[in-house]
Amino acid sequence: MDTAAKSASPAGADYAALKELFRPHVESFDSFLDVGLDEMLRGIRPMEIKDPNSSAILKITLEKGQVLPPMRDGRLGVPLYPQECRQARTTYHGEFKVDVCLQCNEDGAQIRHTFNFGHLPIMLMSKLCHLRDADPHKLVFHGEEATEMGGYFICGGMERLIRILILQKRNYPMGLVRGSFVKRGAGYTDKAVVIRCVHSDQSSVTIKLYYLQNGSARLGFWLGGREFLLPVGIVLKALIDTSDREIFTSLTCCYSDKYGRGKGVVSTQLIGERAQIILDEVRDLSLLTHMQCLVHIGKYFRSVMEGFEHYDYETVAKAVLKDYIFVHLENNHDKFNLLIFMLQKLYALVDQTASPDNADALQFQEALLPGHLITIFLKDRLQDWLRKSKRLIIEEATKNKSFDLNNALEVRKFLTKHTTFVGRAIESMIKIGKVNSQSGLDLPQRDGMTIHAERLNFHRYISHFRSVHRGSAFAKMRTTSVRKLLPESWGFLCPVHTPDGEPCGLLNHMTSTCRISSVYNSEGVVKDFGKIKKSLSFELVRVGMNPVLPKIERTGPPEVLHVHLDGCILGTIASARIEEAVNYLRMLKLLAHSGIPEDLEVGYVPLSLGGAYPGLYLFTNPARFVRPVKSLFGLPDGKQSIELIGPFEQAFMEIRCPDGGDGGRKEKFPATHEEIHPTAILSVVANLTPWSDHNQSPRNMYQCQMAKQTMGFCGQALKFRTDVKAFHLQTPQTPIVRTATYGKYCMDEFPSGTNAIVAVLAYTGYDMEDAMILNKSAVDRGMFRGHIYQTECIDLSKKNRENVPEIFAKSVLSRDTSTAIDSDGLPRLGQTVHPNEQYYSVYNRLTGAIRPVRLKGTEPAFIDYVAVNGASSKGDFQKANIRLRRVRNPIIGDKFSSRHGQKGVCSQLWPDIDMPFSANTGMRPDLIINPHAFPSRMTIAMLLESMAAKAGSLHGKFMDATPFASSVKKEGKDPRKPDSIVDELGPMLASYGFNYHGTETLYSGFFGTEMDCAIFIGPVYYQRLRHMVSDKFQVRTTGRIDQITRQPIGGRKHGGGIRFGEMERDALLAHGSSYLLHDRLHSCSDYHIADVCSFCGSLLTATVIKSDTQKKAKREMLGLPTVRPQKNFACQACKTSKGMETVAMPYVFRYLAAELAAMNIKLELRLSNKSELPPSQGS
Amino acid sequence: MDRPAAGSSYQRFPRVRIRELKDDYAKFELRDTDASIANALRRVMIAEVPTVAIDLVEIEVNSSVLNDEFIAHRLGLIPLTSAAAMQMRFSRDCDACDGDGSCEYCSVEFNLSARATDSDQTLEVTSNDLRSADPKVCPVDQARAYQLALSGNDYDPNAERGILIVKLRRGQELRLRAIARKGIGKDHAKWSPAATVTFMYEPDILINEELMDTLTFDEKRSWVESSPTKVFDLSANGKVTVCDAEAYTYDDEVIKKAEAMGKPGLVEINAKEDSFIFTVETTGAITAYELIMNAITVLRQKLDAIGLQDDDGDLGELGAHLGGP
Repeated sequence: MDTAAKSASPAGADYAALKELFRPHVESFDSFLDVGLDEMLRGIRPMEIKDPNSSAILKITLEKGQVLPPMRDGRLGVPLYPQECRQARTTYHGEFKVDVCLQCNEDGAQIRHTFNFGHLPIMLMSKLCHLRDADPHKLVFHGEEATEMGGYFICGGMERLIRILILQKRNYPMGLVRGSFVKRGAGYTDKAVVIRCVHSDQSSVTIKLYYLQNGSARLGFWLGGREFLLPVGIVLKALIDTSDREIFTSLTCCYSDKYGRGKGVVSTQLIGERAQIILDEVRDLSLLTHMQCLVHIGKYFRSVMEGFEHYDYETVAKAVLKDYIFVHLENNHDKFNLLIFMLQKLYALVDQTASPDNADALQFQEALLPGHLITIFLKDRLQDWLRKSKRLIIEEATKNKSFDLNNALEVRKFLTKHTTFVGRAIESMIKIGKVNSQSGLDLPQRDGMTIHAERLNFHRYISHFRSVHRGSAFAKMRTTSVRKLLPESWGFLCPVHTPDGEPCGLLNHMTSTCRISSVYNSEGVVKDFGKIKKSLSFELVRVGMNPVLPKIERTGPPEVLHVHLDGCILGTIASARIEEAVNYLRMLKLLAHSGIPEDLEVGYVPLSLGGAYPGLYLFTNPARFVRPVKSLFGLPDGKQSIELIGPFEQAFMEIRCPDGGDGGRKEKFPATHEEIHPTAILSVVANLTPWSDHNQSPRNMYQCQMAKQTMGFCGQALKFRTDVKAFHLQTPQTPIVRTATYGKYCMDEFPSGTNAIVAVLAYTGYDMEDAMILNKSAVDRGMFRGHIYQTECIDLSKKNRENVPEIFAKSVLSRDTSTAIDSDGLPRLGQTVHPNEQYYSVYNRLTGAIRPVRLKGTEPAFIDYVAVNGASSKGDFQKANIRLRRVRNPIIGDKFSSRHGQKGVCSQLWPDIDMPFSANTGMRPDLIINPHAFPSRMTIAMLLESMAAKAGSLHGKFMDATPFASSVKKEGKDPRKPDSIVDELGPMLASYGFNYHGTETLYSGFFGTEMDCAIFIGPVYYQRLRHMVSDKFQVRTTGRIDQITRQPIGGRKHGGGIRFGEMERDALLAHGSSYLLHDRLHSCSDYHIADVCSFCGSLLTATVIKSDTQKKAKREMLGLPTVRPQKNFACQACKTSKGMETVAMPYVFRYLAAELAAMNIKLELRLSNKSELPPSQGS
Repeated sequence: MDRPAAGSSYQRFPRVRIRELKDDYAKFELRDTDASIANALRRVMIAEVPTVAIDLVEIEVNSSVLNDEFIAHRLGLIPLTSAAAMQMRFSRDCDACDGDGSCEYCSVEFNLSARATDSDQTLEVTSNDLRSADPKVCPVDQARAYQLALSGNDYDPNAERGILIVKLRRGQELRLRAIARKGIGKDHAKWSPAATVTFMYEPDILINEELMDTLTFDEKRSWVESSPTKVFDLSANGKVTVCDAEAYTYDDEVIKKAEAMGKPGLVEINAKEDSFIFTVETTGAITAYELIMNAITVLRQKLDAIGLQDDDGDLGELGAHLGGP
């Protein structure tokens, strides 16, 4: 059936929009393969090992890496396909090899050897995946969805993806005010300028420039688990050979008293004093020259810089400057200039001439992409491998005097010892999401880097790949400011699609048009950043930039603005010419062959009074959020074109909505750009809600949640899939009312609901409080029928600890054919298995015992699919996947929802004949909901949907329900035409003889009489949610009890009860229903009859003296009930059985007595035999 | 409601006039009775007229893309010719068999065997592939094809494609045995012979001619057009007449319109309490005529049952409800 559907759909191009959504993941992994790997290996400092016996130095350099496509084990050249990995619960990975160059001493021979570092998981649809660019036919042939988009890894059969995290925007100095900065030490204030510098191999070092109370600044960065703080003057001097005067003028050049406190002035006259303080600080340390500063730094860091123990101070200092100070820059002059700029910005922040930047705003954020994470983690692991190998070699060399570093073969032996750990570390990182590294890699968190790509339904699946998490650290924070929806996220993160509850505002989703910049340009060619930088500087000079070199006397804002390109100061532009330059750059962006990347971010921060620190910040780096907007600049050829903008520049741009209004910006700020469509602010899932602009906004949020919980088509390749749990709707439908997004993303491939005829009325009382009545006949005919598929993966090779071989087999002796077990020990296909019935059996080779395995749970299941994976050497099957199918027809208690956050629970399957009916059409509703669902929730779109679907079904066409359609200018629109949707739908209904407003006269199904008022009725797309009573009901009469207290156990899985807690007890007490209370808390719980000695009052001293065994046996033989013989207990303390009485009590009380006795506390009961109530004495 | 005094009777003599009668469609009037009878008739037609439908399916081979339950469910929903259903026994009441289906009184066996062998074309397994053990009970489209073939007028065997059960790809196979049983729609919708049964009260429309004459021609036209269905007619000379009273859907649109125009009472519409127009459509399992007649028979049997209980003086709960002895 599906093959026919597939051949009908045109290949490839159809799913392009869908594939676009997954591009950030796939592209970043590609960039890791194409660029990142080599860049990363280049970034690893060669390891030098000094022989403790001789002076020989072995230099280990990592040269060239290579990742191979996934291949099957054992057989060469046979490609491994993802489907096989899912089935066999293995990992889709390819071999990872690195060429390592060994060189002993400077003059020694270079010996190259390729080391195998294990396997790296390969992202599906990446450049190394066998299914890259496969057409739907090929994909289906290999057991994938025709729409397979990739973007995830298969690790141990699980589909996992790396979560996109929010990071601080790279290479941009941010002015921050944070209370925690004060805690750095004495004299520190809460102000600092922070820059996250990212090396070309994506590893990053964050530099903080703290302001001190005395006017100086400290530069701080983390190394080896602690923060190092350096006086800024030392760093300035260490960076370049400069004079105090140069530093002084560079710092103070931006101040001139002629400006006063005008617009755009960021410096105050205090800067001179501060520059003096900075220089004095250095002089006080008696560090005068460049070299002295370097030595000072070298002394300070030699002990912590690994691998530099044997170098002189100068080399160490240079390494520190290279590896930790502004790692994104290579030239020390650039570093010096940036540090000067940061100081100026810091002072502007302190003097409040520039406002602090908001670290929670998307404007100063970027994304951590899967490929980048793998690059930096792999770098860390390789460095770790080098360290470990070094330790091994040195240990060996000290032990074994004859060990020679020159002997490459020997050395290689030690080097290969830990190689496979590298691949395994990456795999385990993806498997469990934990980044195990000493340094922390400048990442915001260590756990939760990956998530399972659940294919519960398509909405959920897509959302995983579009989700952006703020970081788990923020989840624990008590402040809510990080969760706030800020205007900076406009167009990049969906305001609707965030869960309510714990991760609200932290887990966001990218809008449907949001992309992430990468190292590839639009043609898929790797960008040459050096070339881009060159052509950008050339163009900038053309529009009037003064390059930073040669050095001339410079000034600062407001006269000129600094031009930054990816954190490197290129030069300055006079503020009078800046607008022109910006416009020129924007035009170059639009031109195809200008050499300027189309996703260049032109962050022009204009001069302002105490606003953001001005400048022109250009960004070309990958991992930036970008989105397309229409540019209103006329291109030479007169076309309007699409420009990609980022969140940084967006804050300073004028983008209008195409509704024709000016958005309040008036003539003063003319719009330069226009939104393509207002729905661009919504995520894919939020975009699927019809007419969401007519709903109250929380309802749209709820719908985004519920869409991800619907039971629909999770995939068409269900037959090949081995998901642990999959939901499936038997007869889904395509919605009559749909948004434009529905078609764009091929949602018909994964429908998730049914068009149900919904009547809005209070009919039987069974629709109160969000309950809903389903028509029994409609359910009989297949509405909302569903299945749950559960796959069990049985791996007998792993299970047993004693290394006893176990295989699937059936007892030869058993001729029983009634069980589901076939002759091979595995179940028969299509067989029904009831709870507690055997469905497969295991044969123990050693003991020869057959162990049948019984089905757990309370529901019968069908055997849907059985597969064995690979035979062992003896040809026995030890690994099998058994897929069970459970039928889930709608029953009372199942949850359903419309697409407007209106969920409800089925309260009755009502007979068709009792449902209200329409006299003209004879139709009975499939579903009845209560009118009270509407007034407080204001889901007007649901009413519109009902009308539109009715009109659509009468006219035989799908209805477009794209939100904000009225906000888009329509060319040549008839001004007389009504704007309201109702006025469009009403006439459609009326033309078929229906009421204009969607109501109908209904007749009672019980009485056949007309109902008092007209009923609103029409088709609404309803979704069945995965929450079903069958998975949730918890009820028991008797069953397992706790061993110690003899009270019923808790937990649904073990057949436990629901706790009757203190509050419940209070309720019964308040009602005075003491019999019920006694029943619940005693009779049905740990009812116990204890023997108490009335003389000593002890509970614990009772012992059996004799039991009349003969008599008992006789009674048993006669089949008479054994009565408990009286008085066969005696008190051990009193040595008599005279005072023994039986008392009913909770068993825990006896337990308490025993526990107290263990602590030498006697619990004494005083028994009295008074039948009447004790006389009330006193109160 | 007053109970009739002893001896007196509320007996009425309802009249039925059939307006239109086709195999699967009927329209008739029911007069001189009240809503309870009309609604009882409707309810019985939908839920209590017995038909035959596939109830048990034994699947031997199923390598199609649909799972066993899905196919069984689809088979159940295929309407089978059930003219003989009234005479059949419910399998729960049948004493000639032990409920395994091999009984001529209560069940009919079907067989289906299909295998897609040739070419790349998908094989459509339809209700035509079901082989019945009893020629009287077969899928409705098979019966129709048979009748068309008998009548001999240009019958094209390919035109009747039957009801699709599943599509098979090359190599896939479906083989099963199914047992059809008698049942009623109350138990499962597959046994309901009625596609649609509905009735409407006959409207009684009175136009206040005097008031109507005060309207201009345009006003009249807008009033006539305010009804979504074509109930009134406006002749060229400005005369408003009721052209199709039964098209009126009790939506009160014209009354509201009249009020909006400031002419309340322009028209008076009442539902006749004792006159109903039924529309009956069947699934094809039985003809519309049979449906109506069987419904009356079932209704009568039910009343007889009450009558019998009454004779025994044991009305049970019903007796207590009626305030009986």
